[in-house]
Amino acid sequence: MIIKANVKEALKSLVTAKQRTILALIGIVIGIGSVIGMVSIGTIVQNEALKQFRDMGIDIVSVTKDYERQGADEGFNIEHIYGLPDYSPLIKKVSPYIVSSTQYSYADKDFYIEIMGVSESFFDLNKLYVREGRLLSDLDRNRSFCVIGAETADILQKAGVKDILDRQFLFGERIYTVVGILKKLPEGGGMRPSGINRAVLTHITTAMRSFTTNDITTFMARVSAQDSKTAKTAIENYFGKKASGLSVRVRTAEELIAQMQKQIQLFTLLLGAIGSIALIVGGIGVMNVMLISVTERRKEIGIRRALGAQRSDIETQFIIESVTLCFVGGIIGIILGIIISYFFSHFSKWEFLISQSAIVLGFCVATAVGVFFGYYPARSASHLDPAAALRE
Amino acid sequence: MLRLTDIHKSYRVGPTTVDVLKGISLAVEKGELLSIIGPSGSGKSTLMNIMGLLEQPTEGTYSIEETKITYDDDRTLSSLRNKMIGFVFQQYHLLPRLTAIDNIGLPLIYRGISEKEIMERSMEYIKKVEMQERSRHKPTELSGGQQQRIAIARALVGNPALILADEPTGALDTHTGQEIMNLFKRLNEEEGITIVVITHDPKIAAQCRRKVELRDGIISG
Repeated sequence: MIIKANVKEALKSLVTAKQRTILALIGIVIGIGSVIGMVSIGTIVQNEALKQFRDMGIDIVSVTKDYERQGADEGFNIEHIYGLPDYSPLIKKVSPYIVSSTQYSYADKDFYIEIMGVSESFFDLNKLYVREGRLLSDLDRNRSFCVIGAETADILQKAGVKDILDRQFLFGERIYTVVGILKKLPEGGGMRPSGINRAVLTHITTAMRSFTTNDITTFMARVSAQDSKTAKTAIENYFGKKASGLSVRVRTAEELIAQMQKQIQLFTLLLGAIGSIALIVGGIGVMNVMLISVTERRKEIGIRRALGAQRSDIETQFIIESVTLCFVGGIIGIILGIIISYFFSHFSKWEFLISQSAIVLGFCVATAVGVFFGYYPARSASHLDPAAALRE
Repeated sequence: MLRLTDIHKSYRVGPTTVDVLKGISLAVEKGELLSIIGPSGSGKSTLMNIMGLLEQPTEGTYSIEETKITYDDDRTLSSLRNKMIGFVFQQYHLLPRLTAIDNIGLPLIYRGISEKEIMERSMEYIKKVEMQERSRHKPTELSGGQQQRIAIARALVGNPALILADEPTGALDTHTGQEIMNLFKRLNEEEGITIVVITHDPKIAAQCRRKVELRDGIISG
């Protein structure tokens, strides 16, 4: 009951001192707004980064030869890689690939292009789809067919090539026939090897015959999603046995996600910290307004004390006033923060998200600021000498 | 009902100590209408603050209804002020943002009574001071006499044992001041409310059944 009356009183008193209230509000609005904006931006960034993993699934691992250990010069034996699913039922599918960069020249212009030698499973594991033509299959073994990335297709088109499909091109030292054009992939992140958009993909057997170095240093695998840790150990043991102590580095999607989330959390924390500085400045503004309010209402405090208000009643009244002020500022600030993050996602073309936890955080922080910065003025109000206040 | 025994009060002003009350002993019985009269500087306001539990005496004991006041707990003091004492001030001291009826209900808020009951009791007391037509008015929309009536209703609403009125007619013209005094007399006679009026005006003091004169911090008659 007292609280309800106090909130009513607080609103009245804040409305009476319009100018002061508005100034304090601006501080809180900017403070809460920047915290919410920053945290929401962090959420949008995180969502965007994790989207890649969601697309591919978290059951993908990437296996790299450990260069820091012995046998550094040689790559994986391709037969060993293909033997992996027979060794452990946890490994469902493997996809070795090799990469080599080369130039493509057309009309006296040179373009940098990556040639990737891949197997049929590569398209499935990486969720690659054609926008025109067809994908490669293991029936294309040793044949000069290729599938090109979306940006490679753009480069060729810009260079003036029409009807790319079924046409022959000289990439490096070999002529390839383009049988398919891939759909464009979003930039970066996830388990996908980078640069597929700008690559020419041919069958791994074809690539191994035409590349100068044909060491397989990396391959991807799909493992049982529930046992990615056990699968990781199985892969390590397998290569330890097969290639006399060859050590491999297995990165699971889970590990990468955890690593990435850690980074993004740090990033969000940093942004939040920047916002908090604005919030502290806003809080000091609130404290200032509350101190003025206490000074102006010394008589009111004296009257209330004479009528039987306890110190705690006076303290509660002023803290409620300060919390009410911050709460109103918090609501406007949350709206401001959402607008900021909306514009961020609009200009970055990333998916817009309203972070519910940020809103809850906003209300909690606003209340905490109200209590924290209202406490000192409220306490000094409650310790006024009522007789002295009434004499004025 | 009230018993002050050898009350001293001194203030420290810089290096010197000023003795305002120098041994006041006074008893107020239930149902009395008592005036404390004295020129300014005689210590009558300090005496009222002590009787109203707003100040602590330097020496001496004070008891209300046989209970000795210990000044060690703000909660107890506030609660005694709230339940036992009703204040009426020279400057009315109404809260400007509240309506007349809400001003009257103010002491009850600190008792944790329901809003409905506060409203009912406030209405009952606004009728006692014949101000029910102005219940929704803000203090600034009322005349001095009307404000003082509201202040009296506020002092009465908690059903206290004692009304302490500090120069209640000081800011009013003679006619209105007399009306306020008539109201006090009526409340004292009809309802048996104990009232202590502090004044410097002999005409006001003369209307009370008992008169105590204060001079230089001691009771002189």
